Amino acid sequence: MTNYGLVIDQERCIGCQACAVSCKQENNVPMGQFWNRVLTEGGDKIDTPSGGYPEDGGSGSLDMEYQPTACQHCENAPCVKVCPVNATYTRDDGIVEIDYDKCIGCRYCMAACPYNARVFNWDEPEQMPEEGTGDVAARPQGVVEKCTFCSHRVDEGLDPACVVNCPADARIFGDLDDEGSTVSKYINEYETDQLLEDRGTNPKTHYLSGEMSPGRPQTSDKMESELDDVSPWSDGAEDVPSDADGSDSSDSGGSPHSIEGDAAPHVPAVGSGGDD
Amino acid sequence: MNDPQQPRLTPIDEWEDEAAAMLDGVEYDTDLGLRMARDAIRVSNGELSDAEFHEKYHEELLAEFGEDERPTKPEGFDDD
Ligand code: SF4
Ligand code: SF4
Repeated sequence: MTNYGLVIDQERCIGCQACAVSCKQENNVPMGQFWNRVLTEGGDKIDTPSGGYPEDGGSGSLDMEYQPTACQHCENAPCVKVCPVNATYTRDDGIVEIDYDKCIGCRYCMAACPYNARVFNWDEPEQMPEEGTGDVAARPQGVVEKCTFCSHRVDEGLDPACVVNCPADARIFGDLDDEGSTVSKYINEYETDQLLEDRGTNPKTHYLSGEMSPGRPQTSDKMESELDDVSPWSDGAEDVPSDADGSDSSDSGGSPHSIEGDAAPHVPAVGSGGDD
Repeated sequence: MNDPQQPRLTPIDEWEDEAAAMLDGVEYDTDLGLRMARDAIRVSNGELSDAEFHEKYHEELLAEFGEDERPTKPEGFDDD
């Protein structure tokens, strides 16, 4: 069975907020709300590091770390268990989603989410521009909303917008139930953590730290399951962006998303994603 | 950074206060929401079963919302 999950390589993350902004754009997230935030660990404010500048020829101690955080799509999601009207539910592919037509705005799910991943539309949502952005209809006043892993894109075989638009290739999306997927390989081969493990929620977002991974080794806006069809080693070679075939890959026998081999990070091809 | 509307991580000892703030002014029973939130985490970490959780709050939810559509309903559970 498919069970979608995300790996975020915190060694690769540069805190640029591209994931937060592309999420907002793609999902038509109203003014004043964010589904996806890049939290910081450092100084007192979001943009201030801890430590000090180098003095007297020393090396200084400035430090800031990034913690991109959105709905963790928990396996044991407390938000799902408390929703009296079953507006919040888990899809067969593991994505936790909200049926906005059913939601009565009781906010019990918000109280139950340990990750503070949900936001409530207190007022009539305002979009900029007014007609909205991206590919998802606006949600009304009085409902709770949150990250959907871009299920509308996933349903069309595309990666979430935050994954495609991360310039550091720090976000890797895929099927946790597929041993051969890059997310599974990363979780097996690198040290990864889940947030607030003591709550037992078993998040499907895993954070990689300690050692930098090759990052999102993908060559287009396709999901990796689709990349098999467009890899340089298949018949669909004409679909591969021109920057993807620079290496001598014909004899590697691997795929563009294997961890070893030529999984060097790269910037996804410009313009391949259409509207993201 | 500290706007409770925004996703962020909250240490467990501060979380209940924040949950209470989220439910403040809600049209439904605040105390019920808080107790369920607390117990839902206990379900997640295995201290309470889905069935126990379902039964514990079923009557109160029916009284408050007129329905209880949670996925925690045990097989053969009598809805009335
Ligand atoms: S992170 Fe929060 S909103 Fe997302 S599935 Fe877990 S409990 Fe629910
Ligand atoms: S606010 Fe909406 S989604 Fe959340 S528990 Fe209430 S009805 Fe369910």
